Parts: sequence; structure tokens; C-alpha cells
Amino acid sequence: MTTQHAASTSASTPPSDPHDNIVQAVDVCKSFGDKRILSDVNLTVARGEVVVMVGPSGAGKTTMLRTINRLESIDSGEIRVNGELIGQRVNKHGKVVERSARDLARQRADIGFVFQHFNLFPHMSVLENISLAAVEVRHQPKSKVNEYARELLARVGLSDKADARTRSLSGGQQQRVAIARALAMRPALMLFDEPTSALDPEMVGEVLTVMKDLAEAGMTMIVVSHEMGFTREVADRVVVMDAGTIIESGAPDQVFSNPRHDRTRQFLSKVL
Amino acid sequence: MKFDWPYFWESLLSPSPQFLNGLALTVIISVVAMALALLLGLVIALMGRSRFLPFQLFASLYIWVIRGTPLLVQLVIIYTGFAAANIFRFEDTDVLGSLIKGAVQAAIIGLMLNESAYISEIVRSGLESVDRGQNEAALSLGMTPMHSMRKIIVPQAIRIMVPPLGNSFNGLMKSTSILSIIGVSEMFQVGSTMSAATFKVFEIYIVVALYYLLLTTVWTFIQTAIENTLNVRAGLPRAEPVFKRLFGIRSRKQATPAPALALQPADAA
Repeated sequence: MTTQHAASTSASTPPSDPHDNIVQAVDVCKSFGDKRILSDVNLTVARGEVVVMVGPSGAGKTTMLRTINRLESIDSGEIRVNGELIGQRVNKHGKVVERSARDLARQRADIGFVFQHFNLFPHMSVLENISLAAVEVRHQPKSKVNEYARELLARVGLSDKADARTRSLSGGQQQRVAIARALAMRPALMLFDEPTSALDPEMVGEVLTVMKDLAEAGMTMIVVSHEMGFTREVADRVVVMDAGTIIESGAPDQVFSNPRHDRTRQFLSKVL
Repeated sequence: MKFDWPYFWESLLSPSPQFLNGLALTVIISVVAMALALLLGLVIALMGRSRFLPFQLFASLYIWVIRGTPLLVQLVIIYTGFAAANIFRFEDTDVLGSLIKGAVQAAIIGLMLNESAYISEIVRSGLESVDRGQNEAALSLGMTPMHSMRKIIVPQAIRIMVPPLGNSFNGLMKSTSILSIIGVSEMFQVGSTMSAATFKVFEIYIVVALYYLLLTTVWTFIQTAIENTLNVRAGLPRAEPVFKRLFGIRSRKQATPAPALALQPADAA
């Protein structure tokens, strides 16, 4: 894995102490039928790091992101979050087996996920969307959860929308609620799957601002995005994927101005 | 022929106690059979969605057989056929102080089995109509699949399932008229007896028809109210008014969006 190695010598390298790595993916492979989506992907993300994954569509970025909270299973390799295999465990015979649904749910509760299409729950108010999981999953007292939910709504600039129906919100507002909903679980890690791709252009900025604030507050984030301006400004590290592999990884300035790989150069010439 | 108006009005406005008993039995059988069919239909639907192959096979076999044979034949097999073959005989039994006739039990079981096959298909398509992203969002928040089913999927699927389930119930109430074939003294059976005794065949069957119409119309009101309650709770526009539903008067300007479409997250963007 020469590209990986190259990345680990660059300036914004994650520390080599494995306990500081919140995500550690090793040789991850995944196929849908006979179509290879991920081949031997290695990705390490340090606590507090903001990693943006870029690359042409079909490169496997979204699939890779979804494997990190096991919305997508993997065929081989392993993924550890907080040192634990995600969705899998080693049984007493030393074999890797599936974790129970309950155990996987416990792991996912610490990983926030923001979807391209928001996926807010339309049968609940904005506030209920945000507080649902903390009440249902973490069994925290409702009054305390609602208080925190309102705090989060204020943080994403939607204090006045607590009782609104999700359907009545614009796309940008819905995505900000979705971010607040994920934050309500106080996750250790936030995953963003093309969070601005389904938005009208004038709404992209408000969502990126929220994400930027979050990054500045020290949240560990992995973002799949086509927003190069945001990437340059916020990312600690850019990971370029193509055809199911990571072809390049490094600080945004270095990757954007001096890409090592031809395919990175081709991709950047189209989006920059 | 001469239409006996006085007899008609009397039968319609002050029906005999036997006729009212028949009406009550029609309603009771319909409601009980529907309630049981909902439970069984849900079980069959969940079996059909199960990853356990024998469950899946059983569900498809069940739906295939039940939907592929007439209700009348199913009833006769359950009540008369099983008894003739000495497999099972429905006996009159005492339930909570009232005697339930064997034929009535067979009727309820038969209607339940028949209806559950259709209901399981309604439940299945209702669950499938909820966007996959809803389940993923629930899972990503740390809910188990069962928890997500209960809190996220089912509450949304119910809104989609209520209109076809309501139509199912409407059909079920009308199907009770064939129970006369196994000797259940429901409304139609009472009507036949009366017509045989008085020869006022036309008058009596018109009255019977009007009472079925009354039942289904009352149900349409109830169904609309249920749909409206669910829509209001989900923050959607109200369902079509009852008049439109009954008489099919439609104005093109006020088309309400189909609930399935309204659930797509993309159209809110």
C-alpha cells in the first residue's frame, strides 16, 4: 500500500498510536454480485480528524463510508471503530462472526450518520426527530433530552422550527435537522454521505457552515463530498478514491496543487 | 306485478326482530373475522418477509391457495367437508355465557382465513412502500431492526395500508351474504326465509340490499375519519371527503397527493 505509506509520512498524518485511531479499516473488499466496489481499502482516521473523501462517481466512496457503521457489510478485511470490530466479533474459536443486532445497534449509537436525502422521520415533529433516539435507545429522561435537542437546534440555527413538521422545511433546513438528530446521540464520530448533493445551490452554504462549525468544535468527521471549497478549507486530509481503491491521501493543499496520481489530476481538472 | 309499498316501508323502517338479529350477526361476524384476519395477515406477511426459507414458502403457498380458490368453496370444505370426512366438526359452544353456533364459528374461521391472505399482501406492500432510507436512518441512530419496525416503519406503513384494508373490510361485510349456504342466520338468510314465507321477494331483497348499503356507507364514514386522523397526525392534507368517495365526484383542481408519494424524501427537497 504505497499510497497509504506516502500519506503516513505527510504533515497531517494521523498519529501512529493505534488507540488514537477512531477508525481503522484494513484491506476492505466488497462486491455487489460480480461487480467489485471496494478492493483492499485501507483507511485510518485519528480522533478529531476531518477527512474528506473525493473521487469520481462510482469510485466506492459512499459504500466505503457506509461500511464504517455497517449499513453495508464487507466481504473481507476488517473495520474497527473505537478499537472494536464493527458488526463483527471474534468468537471463542477465533472465527470472525456477525455481532447480534442489539450489539451492532449499541455500536452504531456512537456513530452519527448524515444521509444525502436527509431521511428525517415525516411522522414526527422536528424536535421529536432529534430527541427520539436519545429517549428510545439511551433511555435518557425526556425533559433532559428535549432541552439538549433545543440546544442543538439553536446550534444549527433552527430554534424556531422545533414544533414544525419536517415536510414544511426546505432541503437545507431538513439537512441541518438531520445533523442535529445525529448529534443528539453525542456520537464520537460523524459520517456524512454527500450531505449537500440533494440541495438547491442556494442552500448548500447553510449546511456547510454547520459542518464547518462542527469541525472547528473538534468533532471527528468523515465526509463524502464534491464541495472542493469546503474540502480545502475544512479538511485535515483528503482521500481520493477511484475504482474501489484509495489512490491518494494527503493534506488538501498538497493533493489539490500537487497531486501524485494521474487519475487524481484528471478528476481534479473536472471539478476544480 | 304490483310493488307492495306499505310492506316495503314497514320492513325497511321497522324491521322484524329476526331481521335485526340477522343484521347484528352480519356485523359481529364481519368485525370479529376482520380483527382475527388482521392478526393472521400480519403473521403471514412477516413470515413472507422472513429470511427463514420454510416460513417464506409457507406464506407464498398459503396466499396462492387461499387467493386461488373461491370463498364459497373454502367455507363448504371447512364446515361441511371436514365434518363429512370426520376431520373436524364445529360444535355449538358456550363462549362468555352466550351460545355460539357451529356454523357461525366456521363462518368466522373461513372468512378469517380467506381475508388474511389478502390482508397479508396489503401489509407486505405497505411495509415495502416506506422508503428504505427511513430504516437506515433509524439503524444509524442505534435502533435495532425490531425497534425501527415498531417506531419508524409501521407508523408510516399504517397510513398507506388503511385505505386498502378499509376496502377489504367493505368487501368482507358483503361476502357475509354467502354464509347462508352453511346455514348462518345472517341478514341475507333471514331475508330469504322471509321472502319464502310472504312471497314478497322483490320488496324484501330491496330492503336487504338497502341495509347492506347502509352498512357499507357507515363504514365509509368511519374509514374516512380514521384516514383523516392518521393524516392529521402525520401533518398531511385531509383525505377525500366522504361525498366524493361515495359518488365519485372529482374536481381536478383539488387532487390530494397519494400518500406513497408524499413519503418520498426527495419531493420535500
